[in-house]
Amino acid sequence: MLARSAITARSATLVFSVAGQTRNMATLKEIQTRLKSVTNISKITASMKMIASTKTTRAQRAMNVARAYGQVSNDLIKQAEVEKAAGAKELLITVSSDKGLCGGIHSSLSRYSRKHLAENNEVPVVILGDKAKVQLQRAYPENIRYSFNQLGSTIPTYDESSIIASTILNDKSIEFDNAKLVYNRFVSAISFETDAIECYPVSQIVEAPNFKAYEYQEDVLENLNEFLFANSLHWALVEGHAAEMAAKRTAMENATKNAGDMINRLTLQYNRGRQAVITNELIDIITGASAL
Amino acid sequence: MRRAYASEAAAAPSGGSGKLIVNFALPHQTVLKKHEVNQVDMSAVSGDLGVLADHVPTIEQLKPGVLDIISDAGSTKYFVSGGFAIMNPNSVLNINAVEAFKLEDIDSQAVSAGLAESQRLHSAAKDEKVREAAAVEIELYEALQAALAGKSK
Repeated sequence: MLARSAITARSATLVFSVAGQTRNMATLKEIQTRLKSVTNISKITASMKMIASTKTTRAQRAMNVARAYGQVSNDLIKQAEVEKAAGAKELLITVSSDKGLCGGIHSSLSRYSRKHLAENNEVPVVILGDKAKVQLQRAYPENIRYSFNQLGSTIPTYDESSIIASTILNDKSIEFDNAKLVYNRFVSAISFETDAIECYPVSQIVEAPNFKAYEYQEDVLENLNEFLFANSLHWALVEGHAAEMAAKRTAMENATKNAGDMINRLTLQYNRGRQAVITNELIDIITGASAL
Repeated sequence: MRRAYASEAAAAPSGGSGKLIVNFALPHQTVLKKHEVNQVDMSAVSGDLGVLADHVPTIEQLKPGVLDIISDAGSTKYFVSGGFAIMNPNSVLNINAVEAFKLEDIDSQAVSAGLAESQRLHSAAKDEKVREAAAVEIELYEALQAALAGKSK
């Protein structure tokens, strides 16, 4: 009696485990597909990290030179202690790029820009790079006067910076006293900070407290200021590029690490599933054999 | 062209050390950084001038020409394409140029060829902008030739 109930119980488990077997097989195939795709992704992110690493070293070298160039150029502003006039008309220039997959680089820039625009609605904006354009176009479409793209794949050259500076300065419809260059300052290989370089008009430079000490030919100041503007823009572009490469390297490193963790987890799951299937098959065989 | 003069004389800020500190930067290269020299001769739009330590602070626009850096070790001549030189009250001379090359690195034959080409472009130009660009090139090549001739003197 007990044996018969035991047999019925076992046949019930037999049916159950057949269904369980099909379920496990489907799950195993799913896990295998996922495992293959995550492995591919991790290979891609690992190679992107390598590329970003080499680009970062080169970009950092260029940044040190461009920073020195920009700082030497701006030394006059610092020594003369030029200040911003109250109620000065501003122009906001957001120094971003076209490329993504670099962590919080572009969102940090557009957040800074949006915060500034929220406090000053009328300020015209020039955007360098498509990524920031997309984000700012949604919030402040009427403020955007110019947008430049084809930026970010290579280290910015002085030619590019001069062209951008000339375009802005030659457009007389954009009136501004001060220009604020919003860019990402390279703090270290793993961190950056969104900051701004301030460009002043000739009128403010002449008013500066320590400026009386300088001798100059009057018509030279306008040229100097345009030169200064192009130099500051070049500095912001090159340093922003270096910060972006470093952030891309960090982002790809994290992505590769996460993909690696996922691969380990899935492999364990796959092996457990495989072993469960084998165990069930064995049970079927053994119970089938002992039932005979 | 009015010239604005310094209103007050600066007290010897180099501390009497008599050294001129030069920062010479290009967009793609930092040529000199906090380099102590004796004198710098340059070719400015307002005329050629030589700057020594404690020179009166001045802002000069550079025209294409020779920049001569004179230190105890000797003199190094660079040809600069243009830029600005600013002498500060603390005896620091900041020079920003777009391009600069040592005179010895410049090939005089390439210069002559370039000058001939620019002159041809200038006379053949129909567009005002093209003619002006060619005129700028001619000025540059002529300055280069003068610089190279001056070196060989």
